Amino acid sequence: MSSGFFIHPSIFFFAGMAVLPFLKGIQRNVFLVILPLIALATVVNIDPGQYASLKITTLELIMGRADKMSLMFAHVFTLMALLGTIYGMHLKDNWQIIAAWGYVGSALGCVFAGDYLTLFLFWEGLMVTSVCLVFLRKNRASLRAGYRYFLVHTAGGLALLAGIFLLYYHTGSLAFGPFEPNNASWAVYLIMAGFLLNAAVPPLHAWLPDAYGSATVVGSVFMCAYTTKTAVYALARAFPGFEILIVLGVIMALYGVVYAVLENDARRLLSYHIISQVGYMVTGVGIGTAMSLSGTCAHAYAHILYKALLFMGVGAVLEVTGKSKFSELGGLWRYMPYSLVFTLIGGLSISAFPGFSGFVSKSMVIAGAWQSHLIWAALGLTLASAGTFLHTGLKVPYFIWFWKERPPFDPPKKEAPLNMQIAMGLTAFFCIFIGVRPQALYSMLPFNVEYHPYTLYHVMESWQILLFTMLGFFLLIKKLTPEPLIGLDVDWFYRKGGGLFLKFCKGVLAKVENGLIMNIHQTFFLPLMKIIASFCSWNDQKVVDGIVDGTASSTLTLSSRLANALQSGLLYRYLAAMLTVLAAIIGATLWLTQWIK
Amino acid sequence: MFFVKALSYTILVLLVVTDLFVPREHPHFIGDFIPGFWAVFGFTSCAMIIVVSKWLGKKFLFRPENYYEDENSEETNGYV
Repeated sequence: MSSGFFIHPSIFFFAGMAVLPFLKGIQRNVFLVILPLIALATVVNIDPGQYASLKITTLELIMGRADKMSLMFAHVFTLMALLGTIYGMHLKDNWQIIAAWGYVGSALGCVFAGDYLTLFLFWEGLMVTSVCLVFLRKNRASLRAGYRYFLVHTAGGLALLAGIFLLYYHTGSLAFGPFEPNNASWAVYLIMAGFLLNAAVPPLHAWLPDAYGSATVVGSVFMCAYTTKTAVYALARAFPGFEILIVLGVIMALYGVVYAVLENDARRLLSYHIISQVGYMVTGVGIGTAMSLSGTCAHAYAHILYKALLFMGVGAVLEVTGKSKFSELGGLWRYMPYSLVFTLIGGLSISAFPGFSGFVSKSMVIAGAWQSHLIWAALGLTLASAGTFLHTGLKVPYFIWFWKERPPFDPPKKEAPLNMQIAMGLTAFFCIFIGVRPQALYSMLPFNVEYHPYTLYHVMESWQILLFTMLGFFLLIKKLTPEPLIGLDVDWFYRKGGGLFLKFCKGVLAKVENGLIMNIHQTFFLPLMKIIASFCSWNDQKVVDGIVDGTASSTLTLSSRLANALQSGLLYRYLAAMLTVLAAIIGATLWLTQWIK
Repeated sequence: MFFVKALSYTILVLLVVTDLFVPREHPHFIGDFIPGFWAVFGFTSCAMIIVVSKWLGKKFLFRPENYYEDENSEETNGYV
């Protein structure tokens, strides 16, 4: 235990959940801003060290491991809580904010956890609270998507728990620290599987676009920030230098880009780009050098802000028009110009334009790959970044705000609510601030690395990639015309698989039951049972009843004789009996007292 | 519109031309020595992503929007 300033920032959010329902009007709005601000101020002032540990026999649970890495993630988590809460301030019902705060509190709990059991506890909290943000959309599609999300994450959580138990059985320790890549056991890989599921690494990723595309407008702004980045934090803690993560990360980065081409729903497209962007972070963890791990942390920080900004922009359109499909949108620049500007800033940030936050963070991961001479990884990630600009920087703004002269429907001629615009403006400010003053971000990094993003060559390289991607976009724009289609992903296996299983039950299992088992039952077991039953009945009537009847009649005879002997009605017989009993008691007492002495 | 197009193409050409004079401080592989390499890389990446993804979609992955709904439509009542 260290001495120094530490208050677990989760406490504010968990307490806030309980207080919020009692507040109304201006009090509520002030509270919504003040509480995340207090949490942010707390995180900024926490002294690094180890706090809040609890010893249960041989287990040591640590709730407060604060070092540079956990503080960096906690910093962006609380900042994001502030921005997201402002974005959701206009909501009449408090439930979404309450669920979101529980979600933030759980994510902070994971970040400060020093052992796997504490981590698991908050990990499950993350799932339970975030699924509420899907359910609160309150339509049939989101109800279904929410259940799928819940089941998939339960499976992941169980893999993690099994890994934790095995780990404790083998090593006797639950400390949440790095594993050795060379002799990793089954336990370690089970834990990794649990983390990879939350990081949405293919083929464990399909829950992400499914849930984030179905959640509430405010809910998906929160969800895009916490679940995957908590998993990235956990991976960076436990699995630096596991080379399999390099391969998985590059595949992820490209997979998300490919599926984003096929996507017609703006929020699902952005979801696939979360997968792509988390791919960079997973690659960084796999490389495991100080530079690439710093890249992972910096990119996670920047990513939370610009991805939230993108979800806010697209969410504003959904809130105002009720639509999020490209094939139903277009021509909105007239009516929602501010949302357009903010979404563009998010798009330029994620595309790593010089001057925006992605440029100073994404390039660190790629630089880490170059430094470790992983040419294929560096080129793969650069390829993915061209795809990122293609979709998020170009396709999203173009097909929502331009494309058609007028929207293909009658739009409500207004901008998003003021609080949404304020939240977008603040988030956009941070995206640009990080891009212009990267030192502010780098000073929070857990490692001391020397990195300068703004070299002439790097800026030139970026401009070339981005502007020529733009050229490709406008030359091939006909191919990108939105179509009202969906692309199959691996969720097919459980969405259609569930139906197939039902068909199997109805078709095959029911036939086997009716045809075969019933038949065997009727021809063999039923006659057998009848024979056994008739034997039992004979046995019961003749043997058992005979014995019982015999017993009953003899008991009757015996008791009548006894009654005659005992209740004779003669006084002297009673007296004699009483005296005999009295003498027996006195004798017994005397004998007992002697024996006690 | 013609003006915008002309300006855009001029910027692209200038970008490649100036690349001839940019010093290479930490070249990592052969591509870093070729002027305009990243321009070609960017353009081909973009074209490849669009073409390959659309091909995958058309060939294997595209389905109508109500693809998942039909299967479950028998028990729709009871929900919001």
